[in-house]
Amino acid sequence: MQFSFIDALGEILAGSGFAALADDPRSLIMILISFVLLYLGIGKKFEPLLLIPIAFGMLLANFPITGLLNAPTATSSPGMLWVFYQGVEHAIYPSIIFLGIGAMTDFGPLIARPSSLLLGAAAQLGIFAAFLLALALGFPGAVAAAIGIIGGADGPTAILVASRLARDYLPAIAIAAYSYMALIPMIQPPLMRLLTTKAEREIKMEQLRPVSKTEKIVFPIAVATVVILLIPDTAPLIGMLMLGNLLRECGVTERLSDTAQNALCNIVTIFLGLSVGCKAVASTFLTWDTIKIIILGLIAFMFSTIGGLIFGKIMCKLTGGKVNPLIGSAGVSAVPMAARVSQVEGQKANPANFLLMHAMGPNVAGVIGSAVAAGFMLKVFGA
Amino acid sequence: MVHDPLSLLDALVVALSGFVIVFLMLALLWGIILVISRVVSGVEHHPIPGMAAPAPAPAPVRAAAPAAAPQVVLEGIDETQAACVMAIVSHETGIPLDQLVFKSIKAV
Repeated sequence: MQFSFIDALGEILAGSGFAALADDPRSLIMILISFVLLYLGIGKKFEPLLLIPIAFGMLLANFPITGLLNAPTATSSPGMLWVFYQGVEHAIYPSIIFLGIGAMTDFGPLIARPSSLLLGAAAQLGIFAAFLLALALGFPGAVAAAIGIIGGADGPTAILVASRLARDYLPAIAIAAYSYMALIPMIQPPLMRLLTTKAEREIKMEQLRPVSKTEKIVFPIAVATVVILLIPDTAPLIGMLMLGNLLRECGVTERLSDTAQNALCNIVTIFLGLSVGCKAVASTFLTWDTIKIIILGLIAFMFSTIGGLIFGKIMCKLTGGKVNPLIGSAGVSAVPMAARVSQVEGQKANPANFLLMHAMGPNVAGVIGSAVAAGFMLKVFGA
Repeated sequence: MVHDPLSLLDALVVALSGFVIVFLMLALLWGIILVISRVVSGVEHHPIPGMAAPAPAPAPVRAAAPAAAPQVVLEGIDETQAACVMAIVSHETGIPLDQLVFKSIKAV
């Protein structure tokens, strides 16, 4: 046998990823998109904890002939990203993220003023508005439902519903949801100023009553029992959210609460991001549908904000001006960013205004509201 | 379970139903929170007989001694309230606290 260095070099190049990229240049576009997302995450700090793993997952998935996404066969092992993706496929990661969110969330402001729940409900308007618009744009019902959930401003919920109802659209939906969550400080304030008067924005709210430890312990148990029994499809999200909150509040599981809030949540965030990103391949991502989803996501966020603000104004009227309508926009569940936006806008109108704790009530109510809306959509459109 | 294609009417019904259900569910939670708050408040302020109470019922106790009243018997009030009563009496009578002697303070 004769060995030729040139031939060997040629064979290596022919079998390399570079040669395969030339066969399908769309993968090159996806790689460039992943670079843009990496820039947005690192340079612009747009939800970097999730956007960076998503972008890197997209990068890895679009390198050709790596086998990272290969399903197992009788003769071969599964690819690494295929294994990671099973956590999304079976709704494991979003549920664990909800465990962490529950452990991080203080439901005290909601318990102190339970009427905030209605603001959290009103701010789900965007889900149903985007659902209708998606249908009008020709998406099938199940996909439209998954797109609508972007309006809940809740990443894990959007991922869970998309993984069940619109698997091919999962990356676009997840990226839209997290991108707009990062843009909430830019999306909401113009709408808040447009829909409220200066006098309304200046309203100072009464201090919330103290909430006892017993109330905080009973709350997650009661919510899990009632909501899951009524809408069983909410079980993965509401169940884990309330378990996380119980770990936080019961006072005897500090180590578990700490793990849920930090280590576990961080680990799963890496897997979740990679799994979502790895589904962003050219054949399903580089389509007009992706652009439609990005636009619908923005509309969904705007409608949710409007829904919360309008209901805030109604509550303001009904209570004789005791409720500042700005807290309504915090009913979208992006916790705690939406509540911070209410605080900032309130203080702009009246520097002595402190709305943060008041806005946290609708904010955490929005988490429950979007989970209920997700459960409804899964019930209606699920297999 | 709804099947495609959805008519406009079906789509509107689904959207409206979903929004109403979210409202109803969260309104129900509002009611549940109110019930929890009432029950917890009731239990914490009026311990059920036979159950271990979080704090003992008020009973005559020897108060921490102010300078002029080393042994004040408190009945049905705590030390903070007793201190307020002493301060008010002192203020109203114009007699300094160190010249007043309290033997007992009783809630009526």
